[in-house]
Amino acid sequence: MNRILIVDDEASIRLLYSQELVDEGYEVDAAGTIDEALALLREKSYSVALLDIKLKNESGLDLLQKLVKERHEMGVILSTAFSCYKDDFSAWLADGYVVKSSDMKELKDEIKRLIERKRVR
Amino acid sequence: MGYKCCWFNPGRNIKECPNIEEGEEYLFTSPRKRLVEKCINCKAFQDDIAQLAEESPLRKIIVTLCEEYKEQKGHLQSLSAFLTSKSREIKFLHELSLVLQTSMELDEVLSVAMTAITSGKGFGMNRAFLLMADRDRKYLVGHLGVGPRNYEEAWRIWDEVDRSNFSLTELSKEFYKTKISSERAKFQDILEKLTIPRDLPEHIFNRALNDRRPILVENASQNPEIDPVLVSTLGVEQFLVMPLISRNRSIGILLADNFVTNKPITPRDMQSLQTFAFPVAFAIERASLYERLNDEVEKQAEANQKLKEQQELIVRMENMAVVGRITSSIAHSIRNPLAAIGGYARSLMKSGDLNEKKEYLEQILQKAKQLDEVLEEVLSYSDSLHPVIDCWDLNHLAVSVAAEMEERFEENGLTIVLNLDADLPQIWLDYKQIAYCLKTIISHIALDLSEPGTIEVETSCSEESVRLCVIDKAVTLSDEMKKALMTPFMETAELGQGVGLPLCKVILERHGSLFDIEALQGGGTGYCIILQKQKEDKES
Repeated sequence: MNRILIVDDEASIRLLYSQELVDEGYEVDAAGTIDEALALLREKSYSVALLDIKLKNESGLDLLQKLVKERHEMGVILSTAFSCYKDDFSAWLADGYVVKSSDMKELKDEIKRLIERKRVR
Repeated sequence: MGYKCCWFNPGRNIKECPNIEEGEEYLFTSPRKRLVEKCINCKAFQDDIAQLAEESPLRKIIVTLCEEYKEQKGHLQSLSAFLTSKSREIKFLHELSLVLQTSMELDEVLSVAMTAITSGKGFGMNRAFLLMADRDRKYLVGHLGVGPRNYEEAWRIWDEVDRSNFSLTELSKEFYKTKISSERAKFQDILEKLTIPRDLPEHIFNRALNDRRPILVENASQNPEIDPVLVSTLGVEQFLVMPLISRNRSIGILLADNFVTNKPITPRDMQSLQTFAFPVAFAIERASLYERLNDEVEKQAEANQKLKEQQELIVRMENMAVVGRITSSIAHSIRNPLAAIGGYARSLMKSGDLNEKKEYLEQILQKAKQLDEVLEEVLSYSDSLHPVIDCWDLNHLAVSVAAEMEERFEENGLTIVLNLDADLPQIWLDYKQIAYCLKTIISHIALDLSEPGTIEVETSCSEESVRLCVIDKAVTLSDEMKKALMTPFMETAELGQGVGLPLCKVILERHGSLFDIEALQGGGTGYCIILQKQKEDKES
């Protein structure tokens, strides 16, 4: 089963995404901070990580750089309320970029695309 | 012995004296005056004196006295003439300096100077040319010529001047008002030939300027130091080269000659002209500097105006940017909870046991979707900062957007009529942003439709720009309403409030284009996007 890691400082978003993705048949873990995310990453491997960019006083883009270096087999999707980061060079390291919306179809399609791509490799 | 002179013939009628002319009748009654003015030079008197001298012991004294008298008289006459000439010169220079001191207009100063040189009431030269140093001081450029070009013209001009009986000041004013341009044109060929570079130290003009002294050229065609081209251009053997120097600056050269009369130019003429050249050089320099100062003031005023406009633009942009930052911040604060609300509502919708409340959930979803759309619009403020420019077919963009908007506003009964210019060239633009602006304009009109209506979308092209206009024939906006439409969140009773059209303005300004709302003749409003053609667009 494909495992998804959700990193978002909003508890309601973590819960919503977790439920939706579990319903889609994924195994899901969620972290509210970068430290929590790194702790989970040390224990398990994930097919895809969903990263929020604004994490209270931290930046999801910092975590993104670490993940790209150390976990290059894992797909990373930036899931954020900010559409402007699309033009940020550091955001280009991610495999996908989804602006948060009440409709999660785009996010789910993006996760599927990354998992499919990994399978093809 | 017989005397011939009337002094020794008392019976002779004085009125028969051959030396007294018409107008000198006063001499008939004044023997003393007659003696010193006429008799001294009278042949009969001289013969009688010579005869008397032979017989008289006073002979030597009388002859000496007569000779001394004549010499003194000549000297006095010469001094008197000199005095008259100097008085006239001083009066003339005084008159001239008054004009030169008060005039700031270069052409007016030149009119005075050139008239003074060529007028009989001034220096009386036949012809004069002025050469002026250019701004870089690299050339002496033929600037103005005054005088006749041939004998016929000379007699005609001098006759006119004689009959007009104008003073020097009046003559120069007349010249300034009516003749300066035609004189410049008349001598254009000569002026062009007189122009020389300043870096030819051997040229007579440069020598006069460098040595700071006038040069009277004689026998020009025989003089190896004079350029033969200059001699043939002027067509005279004698001419005067007068340097114009103000402080240490070389202003130019005055050339003067007697082209028609061939009257010799004397060292005294040269000296008088030199006295005159100082105030002229000073006045020319002052007028030139004043002219340049005026140019600079004009440039400065233009720059100030531009600066003012830029400052206003910056203030407006800053205001927009502040609004942008605020809306962006609000939007991001809304998006997270909104995503959660909508997300949970969707989850609930999927579960079967909430059928009774399904209508409420649908409402939550619908409103969340609406809020999402508003957020998209608000967030476009920050997206508008960096346009992505590419070459596009504007007609294609209009067709795509019209189709999408007709579908979106199907319920409002919206019909979009396209009047597209088939010859429209491709143009550099940010497709996403221009499409957004067109959609926003159409939405703005469509949302106000109370009954099914038609909107026209037109494209057209000119030399400098391509226009994309949306025509709303139903509503004519007042100036106040137009202003309100361009200001974010400004509310009017007619228009409600929003950021859509102000955002379009910001996007288009950053895009280097214009957004104009025009009242149409016969009623209605045109919302026009004016895209300036780039160099590449114009070439294609």
